[in-house]
Amino acid sequence: MMFITINTVCEFICFLAALIFLSNDKEPAWKLFKAYLLLTCITEVAGIYMSHVAHISNYQLYNVFLLFECGVTSYIFYYLYKPYKHKLNWLVTWYCIFIAMYITELFINHFKSFVSTTATIMSVVFVFASLYYYYLKLMDENFERLILSAPFWWVSGALFFYFGSTTCNIFFDYLAKSKPITYGHSIRYFIFNLLDIILYAFWSYAFLCRYLRRKSFS
Amino acid sequence: MQISSEEIIFLIGLTSLIFLIAPLFLIIYVVSYNRKKKKHQEEKLLLQKTFENELLKTQIEVQEQTLKTIAYDLHDNIGQLLSITSITLSSIDLTNKDKSAEKLAFVEDLTMRSVKEVKALSRLLHGEELVNRGLAAAIEFELEWLQRSDKFTINLDKQNFVAFGGDNSKETIIFRLFQEIINNIIQHAKATEIFITLAQIENSFKLTIRDNGQGFDVDEALRKRSGMGLHNIVKRATMIGGTTSIHSTPGSGSEIVVNIPY
Repeated sequence: MMFITINTVCEFICFLAALIFLSNDKEPAWKLFKAYLLLTCITEVAGIYMSHVAHISNYQLYNVFLLFECGVTSYIFYYLYKPYKHKLNWLVTWYCIFIAMYITELFINHFKSFVSTTATIMSVVFVFASLYYYYLKLMDENFERLILSAPFWWVSGALFFYFGSTTCNIFFDYLAKSKPITYGHSIRYFIFNLLDIILYAFWSYAFLCRYLRRKSFS
Repeated sequence: MQISSEEIIFLIGLTSLIFLIAPLFLIIYVVSYNRKKKKHQEEKLLLQKTFENELLKTQIEVQEQTLKTIAYDLHDNIGQLLSITSITLSSIDLTNKDKSAEKLAFVEDLTMRSVKEVKALSRLLHGEELVNRGLAAAIEFELEWLQRSDKFTINLDKQNFVAFGGDNSKETIIFRLFQEIINNIIQHAKATEIFITLAQIENSFKLTIRDNGQGFDVDEALRKRSGMGLHNIVKRATMIGGTTSIHSTPGSGSEIVVNIPY
């Protein structure tokens, strides 16, 4: 029962949506979501197991997951920028910067805590990436029905999540030590629950849009 | 003053909430801007359609003008020549050889003139395609035809003109503008002299048509929106991104300048 939380349910529903709506998708970027969301579900369950059953710290698990999160999300942004003639160099440069920050923070923390600074910077970069995508859409002369645009809703979900989590990321250390506000949970828990609901609802809708688009073209 | 941990947590919660509202407004803005983009695109499409319709109308009008000229020519020139030929032939008295020879020579002359007229008419029929050969050629041909009537002295100045740099559809519309202005002069101006200047100024084409006719009240003519079709001239020039300036005072001729950018 402890494995059924708002987070895990949202992630699982989104994974199911990806499994159903992206089953025959030919685009590698969209196909990637099935594996990524499965990994997210496994990480979340493993995180709960380590924390509540094995009673060991799970930050190392989330440190590893952060690599996948950054890798996949950055690649998707790169894929969305592709029609606007963006070069691979940007993605590679960002990956290099991220790895450098990640390793530096791990060494500074002596591998004993979550790489919160790197996660915060990553969130800020993804917020800028989302805003840049909006900018490209605004500048684009071609009209596209955004209500049914899968990339648009995927980016919107990412923007909500990464923008909304900025405060929590900045105060990560403080919130980790703070007392629970109600039902034994911290404010961070409630904020991330809300963010997860928004993120996975938007992403599930994006997968549905992708499915509808594929259907209308076939 | 020290801030309590509850207050900090409240502030974190509040900031996060604000950070959630901001993207919401951003999404609403992007979606509404996108809707405007759609509307703009529809308007652009409508404008394009209107332009195409107007172009088609212009092409038909150019054709109609050609047919009208042919009809007038058939009636006034070739018809007359053939009638005289017929009358002359029927009046030949074969017993009077001298007179007959004279009449036959006259008939021969009439026939030659008819052939010449038919050839000119044939060129006019092909004239519809003249616009495709170039604006200057089409204007020159039209003026050549006009000059045959001997009613006007025509001065064409194209020293500052080499070739029209715009697309074909623009050329057709300009040619029609030229025809409309000339028609106005023929029908209303009571002029004896027409001055036409074709010029290229930087990236635009300038057509100036001036006459020494009776002139007219420009404001009134534009207000009436009928008769001379000045409104149509202004509208069509605007449609292809050009401007028209009309100068005239009653009793001292008129001048119309059309400026079309490439």
